[in-house]
This record gives sequence, C-alpha cells and structure tokens, in this order.
Amino acid sequence: MILKPELTGSRHYIMPAIGQAANWVVLGFLAALGATLLAGMLNGQIETRHLFWARGGDGRMRFSPERVQLLLFTVWAAGGYLAQIPQAIAAHKLPDVSTQTLALLGASHGVFLGGKAWSMLSRQ
Amino acid sequence: MTVLQVAAWVALGFVGLLGATILVWIWTGRINLNRVISEPNGDASLSRLQFLIFTFVIATSLFLVVASQPNGPGFTEIPQGVFMLLGISGSSYLVSKSIQFSSDEGIKERPVEVVITTDDPTLKPGETLQFNAVVKRAANQTVTWSLEDPAAGTIDAKTGLYTAPRTGPASDTVRATSVADPDASDQGQVTVVAVKGAAA
Repeated sequence: MILKPELTGSRHYIMPAIGQAANWVVLGFLAALGATLLAGMLNGQIETRHLFWARGGDGRMRFSPERVQLLLFTVWAAGGYLAQIPQAIAAHKLPDVSTQTLALLGASHGVFLGGKAWSMLSRQ
Repeated sequence: MTVLQVAAWVALGFVGLLGATILVWIWTGRINLNRVISEPNGDASLSRLQFLIFTFVIATSLFLVVASQPNGPGFTEIPQGVFMLLGISGSSYLVSKSIQFSSDEGIKERPVEVVITTDDPTLKPGETLQFNAVVKRAANQTVTWSLEDPAAGTIDAKTGLYTAPRTGPASDTVRATSVADPDASDQGQVTVVAVKGAAA
C-alpha cells in the first residue's frame, strides 16, 4: 500500500509501505512495553514498595506527601505533553514545554528534594 | 522490488522479531523487570520513576514527529523547553541519588524475608494441611520446614505437608527457613483439638 502524494505543488515524499510498517512495528513495541511496565506496577510484579514512603529524621519509614505531589505533577506534565502530540504530528514539529509547566515542575522537584535532604540532615 | 527494498524488509523483520522477543522474555520472566525502579536497598524510587516517565514520553513523541515528516523521516528541531524538562528530571534524579547514597540505609539491601502464607490452623487429630511460604528478595524460593516439638505431629521438610498427631489436643510451632539465607525464617502456630470420645 503506497500513499498518494498530496497535490500541493510542493515536493512530497511518497512513504513506501516499509516506512508505514516500520512505524507500526516501533509504535507497537513502545506501546506494548509501556503497557507492560504500567501493568507490572499495578499488579505488583514491579517492586513499588515504599514508593510513597521515606525515611524520616528518626530513621523510621513515614508516608511522604512530597513524593505524592511529585508523582502527581509528573503525571500532569507528561499527560499534558502527550495530549499535544496529535497537533505536533500535523505540524511536523515537536511541541514545546511551557514556562509555567517548567516552573511548576521545578518547584515540585524542589519540594521533593528539600524533604529528602531535610530527612537526611535530621538523622545525622 | 529492488535489492535495497528487500534488504530493508529483512532489516525491519529482524527489528520486529527482536522487539517481539524482548517483549515475550519480559512477559515470561526471562527478563526480570521487578526492580526496574528499585534502589539497591529494594525500595521503589520515585526519582527513577519520574525520569523513566519523562524519557519515555519524550522519546515516543520524538519518534512520532520524526516519522511524520512530509519529506520522509528526518530529525526535527527539539524545543528548548523539552531540554529544560529533561534537565530538571535528570538533575533531580542525580541529586536524589546523591542524598540517598550518602547513608548506608540507602544502599544496603534489605535482608531476605520469609513469610508463611498459611493462616495459623486448627486441625483434628490425623488431619493434614499444606503449609506454604514466600521468600522475599531472593530468587531461590525454597524453604526448609521444621517443627519445634517433633512429638506434636510431623511435617515434610521439603514440601511443608503437616500431619497432625493421632491424638489431641496439641500445639506446635511450624518454622520455615530460607535455603538462600538460613538466617531468614518465619514461624506459625498449629493447633490440634481433641475429639470427643476418641481414645487417648
């Protein structure tokens, strides 16, 4: 199956069947790998113990809100970026990440690292 | 079809087969991803997870855009924001590991742990029960079974099949010891009730 070139007057590459097949192979692999990783985390095959826990100043494990907020911001940023992909494909350009998103992510990571550093210093 | 096209199909077939093999090996356990986001001490790492998420998302997006180029597959300009995003994610991961590895607790592997998964049972004289155990953080799941009081029934050291004594009442402690780490064990309690009218 060969795509017909668009009649825009400019030169367009006729994507051969192999190019389409390569697209499907790579996309299929990435999708299957991503689904495998996600399923593994949800059903316990991939170790997620203490993902939302941290060692406190007294050396004992405690629930860590800093980690929860970091994961939430990460999922929000990654999901927002993926949502731009259909437009990016149409525009043939990788979407940018907004300054606001970068600032929020930076702050989120700062809170996470700050909490981690505080726990370490408290134990010393 | 030209030689180049045939070669291209063969190469694609090889890549597809390689990808499928990797996926099958992951699904069958030959490639073990249990600790893909774990630290040396066995705990899951959020800094690894967030780094994995962002690199996966950016790599997939880049592939999709590259493959959609109107003049054939070709690299596209990567916006500065994407570099900054990966920089924040990667730097955070590095700093997080530095903090963690500055203490022994962040590096040392947690010890092997044995957990008897059979609830403490109550049996009648002569009854049998299969005990089971799980060994955590060890590839070898084999345990050795033993009873504290050999007179209170018998247990198969290899299979964990417990047989209650012919007369009750009795009570005993069942122990499962990891073969991988003999210092790791768990114990449970088994109770044998007396049956009314049975000869002592």
